[in-house]
Formats: sequence, structure tokens, C-alpha cells
Amino acid sequence: MTAIVLNVNRRAVEVQAEPRTSLADFVRDKLDLTGTHLGCEHGVCGACTVLLDGVPARSCITYAVACEGADVTTIEGLDEDEVMAELRAAFTREHALQCGYCTPGMLVSARDLVLRLPDADERRIRVGLSGNLCRCTGYVGIVRAVQSVIAARRGRNIGPQADGGRIHLGPAGSGRAMSGHDDQPLPTAGLELAAASDSVAPDVIPDFTPANVLDQSFTLPYMPAKVFAMFADIKGIAACLPGVSLTAPPSPERVEGAIRVRLGPIVAAFEGAARVERDPAALTGRIIGIGTDRRSHSATQGDIRYRLVPLDGGEATAVELSIGYTLTGMLAQIGRPGLVRDLAKRLVADFAGNLDRQMSGAPPREVAPAELSGLSIISDVLRARVARILGRVFAGRGGAE
Amino acid sequence: MKPVPFSYERPRDLNSALSMLAASRGSAKIIAGGQSLGPMLNLRLVQPELVVDISGLAELKRAEIRGGELVLGALVTHADIEDGRTADVTRGAMPGVAANIAYRAVRNRGTIGGSLSHADPAADWISALAALGARVTLRSLAGVRSMAIEAFVVGALESALDAGEIVEAVHVPARATSAHWGYAKSCRKTGEFAHAIGALLVDPAAAAARVVIGAIDTAPIVVTDAAELFGGRIAADFKQRFDARAADALLVKAGIDDAAQRHIHVSVLKRAVFEAAA
Repeated sequence: MTAIVLNVNRRAVEVQAEPRTSLADFVRDKLDLTGTHLGCEHGVCGACTVLLDGVPARSCITYAVACEGADVTTIEGLDEDEVMAELRAAFTREHALQCGYCTPGMLVSARDLVLRLPDADERRIRVGLSGNLCRCTGYVGIVRAVQSVIAARRGRNIGPQADGGRIHLGPAGSGRAMSGHDDQPLPTAGLELAAASDSVAPDVIPDFTPANVLDQSFTLPYMPAKVFAMFADIKGIAACLPGVSLTAPPSPERVEGAIRVRLGPIVAAFEGAARVERDPAALTGRIIGIGTDRRSHSATQGDIRYRLVPLDGGEATAVELSIGYTLTGMLAQIGRPGLVRDLAKRLVADFAGNLDRQMSGAPPREVAPAELSGLSIISDVLRARVARILGRVFAGRGGAE
Repeated sequence: MKPVPFSYERPRDLNSALSMLAASRGSAKIIAGGQSLGPMLNLRLVQPELVVDISGLAELKRAEIRGGELVLGALVTHADIEDGRTADVTRGAMPGVAANIAYRAVRNRGTIGGSLSHADPAADWISALAALGARVTLRSLAGVRSMAIEAFVVGALESALDAGEIVEAVHVPARATSAHWGYAKSCRKTGEFAHAIGALLVDPAAAAARVVIGAIDTAPIVVTDAAELFGGRIAADFKQRFDARAADALLVKAGIDDAAQRHIHVSVLKRAVFEAAA
């Protein structure tokens, strides 16, 4: 085993792995970034293509140990990427995938073409994608999607960059390591370590575009100004939220803490930090947070916005919540929006009840971590299964026509 | 599809890499971009005890024009050449070849020195560089030696490298302004290894031509004085004078018994001739 230090999706990572571990196995098995797919494992099919120091590389025939110090970007790290957002929309529009197995690698290669090709020439795109095999689509939709993004960007006067922005000579990902083998880990001062560090609270909490947004509301029998003031009391608010605990004294702009959530048999404890914004004039506020659950190797980002609306001539308040979130990692495999919506509904109901009690002077009820009832999960799974079966039937018909 | 376990060393400079190689007595394998060795390791076709990773060595990443020729360090990648991050003395010939090697994701890591060391007959550089008249320098603890590319490639996956020796640099002579370049290959699928490669550098002004018939499952056929393929004389009308039967005879002599295979090789060479004349 060798300690391998590199940056994955802008996070410094230090993980033990054998020298024979491919970069693909490293991100999949050690970091649970399973969006990188393995097909042929000898450099032919392209499913494992990732960005290495910003340019595409085969992660199945690149060993993680050889990427010491390099910047690795997997499909998960391209959620916020502007070109990728355009490509995702185009892939959806042009039906550029069916089973999705080739799609992460296909998107990484497509992004490279969008950046480098001068125009949307079909032949050049087809040649450029020849290292990414797709067994479903016949490539027609994929080529069309890439063409449309290139044409749109060139139409907006965004020029090509023939070299993909690379300036160094030599293999992508090389040359960032210190010499020696396993006894000289890179200095990582100032970097957040995903696996090795004890602190999971990030210093900077960036904005993001949530993958899912759900709206909830409840009413409180108090004036909006009083509710707004209550919302400034972070400790008080945290005490009303089932499963929430603070890990550091909060400031008006920042809070560090953890939330324990149960989803049927799964217990997740997301630890992280949040940034708090408030607008007293509009009686609105926003909490943007990042948390990770070490046990399930999952991460979540949340963006909760609230708006206080006077009711009954200003005597009561409607609290309108918009809860946006993105879930990645193992939990994302089962954390379907339906399940999370159910959980959020229960959380918000408990929160509203506790808040009411607290504002009336009564202590909050002792609450267990929010959880979904077994029945609710079963019925949700059943519903999804029925929907899938129906979808298959209809898709089958559509395909036959 | 996982390699057998191996030890891994990342030497700090070329000399320590050579020392490791010498000390290993043949049980070590040099890795650069790993685009040829990686698949072989994964398929367990190669099972070295030690892998020596030279990909970080700055001294092998140089590219400079020295004495009228281009000197490319072994770690220069195909994409470096394709994108023009290195100088070009071949008036587009080398960038053109580089741009069509495998796929971009492979070109971003695959190196010119690694490709030569691997000596796969179907790879592009061993044919293209032979046609361009390039030489290669090899270094070991004992010193440096230099040889023509056609002498370096001995057979399928067989090079002139001794144990303890690595490719240090490639020296490419400048292409004369009067010299025409043609390069063609036939791949069953775009980006896959070629089934036939034709390459030629024709200079009617100097009445000289170098012709390579590559991807023949062994070291390529390199004709340094190719007048015999053009009716005995290299002139401006070399396209009309190209003699397909003479090319076929070369293939027969090289032991290619299958007439269909010879036909493919001759046709691909003819395409290269046409490209050079265009």
C-alpha cells in the first residue's frame, strides 16, 4: 500500500492504495465516485474517460500512483461546469443516451471537442468521439447533441481553444509528484483532506444549482417580525430541528453542525457547515450548506430559502420554504426525490411544531432523529417499480412504432 | 482485468531511473504515459516485479531545435506534437501523424519515446519517423548511443534497447522545402491500430525518396533509396511513375504470402503517394 495524494474534484485526497490500482478503481472504490464507468479496462471503450490536469485521459490504463499531485475531475466534478450543463441539456434533447453506461466518458470527451473544434463539422465530431463506444444510440443523437452545443457556442462568439488549454509538455497528470515512492507524502497544508482530516467543515461554502427542489410551508400564530427575529437565533432554531446538533458556536453568518437522518434501515449523519443570509426588509433568508456522511461516503449540498408572509392582517405568519439539495455518493443511489420529499415533509412538520412550542415558551419536545416509516419506503419502492414497468411498456411501444 | 501486484518507484532523475533499471536485472519495466504498457499490465500479459515511472522527469520533456534538427525528449506526448506545443521542422508532417494516433484521451498521455520503445509494428511513429529519416538516442549508465529508427525497430515488440537502456530523445531532420510528404493508414475502426501504413518523403529536387510500408506484423519495410518504386528515377512525375508491382515484390520478399494483405498494403501506399503528389 502506498499513500496517494492527489486532488479529486477540487478536493485534496490522501488514500492508501496499491500501485497497481488504476485511477478508475481509485475514484470508484476508494472515493465512491462511481460515475466513472469501467468497460473494457484496456483503453478501448472510453467509458472511464476523466479529466486529468484538465484534459481527457483513460482512467483504466492510468495508475492512480502515477497521478500523484495531479488534478482529477470526474463526471461528478463537472456538475457546475458551464459546457457540461449545455451538453447535458443537449443530450437530453437529442436522446443521446439510453442505458447511460458510456455517458460519463462520452460527456467528458464531448466537452473536450466542444472546447477544441473550430466548428460543428460532423465528420470531425465522429472522429473525435471514435474512442468512446456506445452500444445503444448508434451515435446519431450524440453527434447531433455535440454539434448543437458547438454551433450554439460559436454562435455566441465563444472561440475554440485548439490545445484544450494545456501548456506543459509530457503526459497529462505527470510531473506534479515529488520524487521517491511512498514515504514522502506531498505537503497538504492549507488543503482540506477528504479522508484523512478530522475537520469536515469547509471554509468556503459555494453557491450551487440544486438537483432537486421541493417546496414546503407551515403557519405560525405570531407576527412576521417576531418569527424573523426567532430565525436569527441559530441555537434556538437548531434545537427545533430533529436530529440537528451544533459542533461549533455559531456566528450570525456561519454555522457548523451535523444532522442525523434515518431513511428506513439507513442512518446518515451529515457533518458540515452552512452560510446564513438574511434580508430584514423582505423578511427572507437563505441557508446554504455542505455536509458529508463518512459512513455512507455520501455528500449533500443544501440551499434552503425562506420567506415570511403575513397572514390574518399581520397577526400570523406563513413560512414558505424552498428546499434545494444535491445528494452524491452511495446514498444518491437510493435517495430518490420521492423518498427525500417524504423525509423533508416530516422534518418540516416536526420543526414547525417545535418552533411553535418554543415561541410560546414551552420547551421543545424530545425528538428522535427524523425517519421514514417502513411502510412509506415500501410503498414508495412499489410505486417506483410500477412506474418503471409502465414506463417500459410505453417505451417498448414507442420503440416499435 | 487487474495487473498482478508490482512495486513502484518514481526516480528523481534520469540517472536514478537508469540505476533502478540496471539493478533490477530485467525484472523492471519503465512506464511513461502507460498507454501501451497499461493495457498489457491489465491483461497480465506483462508481469514486472518493479515499475519505474519516469513520467515526471523534466529532463525528458524538452523539445528544442538543435543544429537544424528537432530534438524531442522521450516524454513528449502525441498531443504535444498535435497541438504545436513543440516546434515542428517537418512542415506539418508530424502534427498530422500525431493528430490521428488512437484517441485524444490516449494522445494526452501517450509519449513518442514510449511508443517507440513498445515497438508495436502497427503504431504510427515507427513508420512515420523512419520515412522522415529520424534517429533515436538511447541512454544507459554506460553512456549514449544513437541509431536510425529503422535500425531501432527489430521486430514485433522488439527494439534494439538493451536491458538497462531507455529511449532518451528523438532527432528529426528538417524537411526540405522541396520535399513532399504522404502518410496513409488503414484502420478497421478509426483510432484503432492500423492494418496497413504507407509513408513517404519524396524530394524530386534532390532525386531522393524514402518509402515505408508499415504495420506488416514485424519491423516495417523501409526503403531509403526508393527509386526502384518509381521506375528507377525520382522526378516531379513520381505519382505517375509509382510502380505497384515493385511494391508488391517488396512485400513478397518480406514474407507476406497473402495476396489480399499485399493488395491492402500496396493500395494504402498508393494513397500516401497520391497525398504526397497532391
